[in-house]
Amino acid sequence: MVVIQALPKDHETVRTATVEMEEAVVSIENFSLWYDLFQALHNVSIAFARNQVTALIGASGCGKSTLLRSVNRMNDLVPSVRVEGTVMYEHVNLYDPAIDPVEVRRRIGMVFQKPNPFPKSIYENVAFGPRLNGYRGDLDALVERSLRGAALWDEVKDILHQSGLALSGGQQQRLCIARAMATEPDVILMDEPTSALDPIATNRIEELINKIKEDYTVIIVTHNMQQAGRVSDRTAFMHLGVLVEEGPTDQIFTNPIHLMTERYITGHFG
Amino acid sequence: MSISTPGEVGSRVSKDRPSLLNNEERAQLAARKRNGKFFLFLTVVPVILAVLLILTLFGSVLLQAVSWQVVEPRNSGQTFSLREARTWEGVVRLELLAQGRTTQDIEALLSDSEELRKFKARNRVELMFRANGEPLRWVVTNIRDDVEEVYSLIERWDRERDSLTELAEGQNYYLNPWMDFSFLLRNNSGRPTVAGLSSALVGTLWVIGLVILLSLPVGVGTAIYLEEYAPDNRFTRLLEVNLRNLAGVPSIVYGILGLYVFVRTAGFGPSVIAAACTLSLLILPVVVIAAREAIRAVPGSLREASYGLGATKWQTVSRVVLPNAATGIVTGVILAVARAIGETAPLLMVGGAGFVNKVPDSPLSNYSVIPTQIYSWINAPQKAFDNVASAGIVSLLGVLILLYVLANILRRRYEKKW
Ligand SMILES: Nc1ncnc2c1ncn2[C@@H]1O[C@H](COP(=O)(O)OP(=O)(O)OP(=O)(O)O)[C@@H](O)[C@H]1O
Ligand SMILES: [Mg+2]
Repeated sequence: MVVIQALPKDHETVRTATVEMEEAVVSIENFSLWYDLFQALHNVSIAFARNQVTALIGASGCGKSTLLRSVNRMNDLVPSVRVEGTVMYEHVNLYDPAIDPVEVRRRIGMVFQKPNPFPKSIYENVAFGPRLNGYRGDLDALVERSLRGAALWDEVKDILHQSGLALSGGQQQRLCIARAMATEPDVILMDEPTSALDPIATNRIEELINKIKEDYTVIIVTHNMQQAGRVSDRTAFMHLGVLVEEGPTDQIFTNPIHLMTERYITGHFG
Repeated sequence: MSISTPGEVGSRVSKDRPSLLNNEERAQLAARKRNGKFFLFLTVVPVILAVLLILTLFGSVLLQAVSWQVVEPRNSGQTFSLREARTWEGVVRLELLAQGRTTQDIEALLSDSEELRKFKARNRVELMFRANGEPLRWVVTNIRDDVEEVYSLIERWDRERDSLTELAEGQNYYLNPWMDFSFLLRNNSGRPTVAGLSSALVGTLWVIGLVILLSLPVGVGTAIYLEEYAPDNRFTRLLEVNLRNLAGVPSIVYGILGLYVFVRTAGFGPSVIAAACTLSLLILPVVVIAAREAIRAVPGSLREASYGLGATKWQTVSRVVLPNAATGIVTGVILAVARAIGETAPLLMVGGAGFVNKVPDSPLSNYSVIPTQIYSWINAPQKAFDNVASAGIVSLLGVLILLYVLANILRRRYEKKW
């Protein structure tokens, strides 16, 4: 039995091969977050490189979702949230009082743990985002492009006007990815996108992630170490609101520097 | 308790049935089952009582809607078989012939709409279950016919022959179905035999329509505000408590409020719109509560999906929350309206008259609604009005059933599977 030693809250994140300033699309700097009095994130700093997949790993409750949702300000929906620090996106601080969270979410899309298509047709699901802004272009083409992007087009091209809820779980999740792509974001956040899916559907989503990183920057939360290994370029390990270590995925998995990272990777806790 | 080994089981169990339990366990199981049966019995008794009560209620109302009556006719006094006449017009022809009118005369009357209207206003053409001892015959009842005697169906069900011999010269003896189809189309009258429900029925439909129009937007608006926008402070909590309390305020209080605010201050007078406003106030708390529940039942994951795509709060509310809560809201409103249209007390206060024989044709018309109409019939001196009132109750129940069915269809049709 390994005793988990306490990690100081002012722990200095162990970094290898840091992301260069000019590569970074999103960079979180000295970011702390409180739910009421409970501090869920402690002074986290991390940069996410363009057209790369970054995996966030860590034990349940360590703040992965919180960190992810801080990037597109979904946490603003929780009334008691308070934050400190900055999240820079294209040289703009997303937490600047002048920035509307609605703008942020148009640039930074999100896919959730449980597939959550609207109870509308497949077409309407994908068209939802563009319609919010009164999309002027060719909506049909955009829907097709997004569905192709999410590797779903061939399966649904004949049933575009059937309910999105009639699809299988894996198809629903790809529909949600297509829906997120249709708003033409830069960054896509994924919070355990495959945890509700079977291995085959999971496999397809992973292939999809590997494909879409040509066009998007992806940040993915996962509990599945193999998945992190398969899809991500960089990995960040968190523990109790602290970012313990981050670096290239190979490095983290084969040669972790911090003891706690090593224990987590090798399955000794978590 | 230890688990018995197969050997033990075989040896301890009584000979006939195979069992996995030893004797002690079997006794306990039997006791548990007895317990279950006892409580099942306790729950079944009230259900049976309730069903019996409902059956009694429906039975007595339905029975009252049919009665024997002794009538002194002012028309020809003849009855016609189904073979003689099939249509309404056919019956009218036969009756007028029997009254000694010429064929020419009759054709003139039938082709003149004004004359026809007058005839309809004074006469009720009805297929009676029994007339003078014969089954299913057409009877034309005149407004001036005197009802000499009314017997309930049960009172005389096996004594038709005696009743017939008791009749005086020229009197007729009918088994009258008060709740017939034309009852809904006839106007009210001071004479029970020809009194109808049409003005009250149309009044009720007007009120239902206006109540929905008024309470739906106001109720849903309030619900949206409270659920989605209201800050969580002392004021909104107070509002919430009061909302729940308002749902329990006696309806007569709303009647008084309606009388002062809508009838007098707003100057609507005793009109359909005053009634609709009063009833809307009455059901608003219930509508708001139902709408809030429907809104709250929309899964948070759908809201997140919408926000995640860059929707504003209002876009999320209008494009995701409301469409998904719509069925729940509409069902809630229909059920609340069904509750409201049975209300009598507040409507008596805001001028739901017992006697209106003009069908309301605008929101400012005088009106009567089914409950106040029933109330005035029950208070009328002639005994036969009791039967008319029963027919009115059957119609009211019919309207209610229609509303419930509508609510159910909506619910089934649009039920969401997440
Ligand atoms: N809305 C909230 N209000 C209060 N506390 C919250 C809220 N959401 C999360 N927390 C707390 O913040 C901490 C981090 O939660 P978070 O959901 O980010 O964890 P996680 O790493 O995503 O866990 P999991 O792997 O189980 O999804 C937890 O201790 C959790 O209890
Ligand atoms: Mg999480």
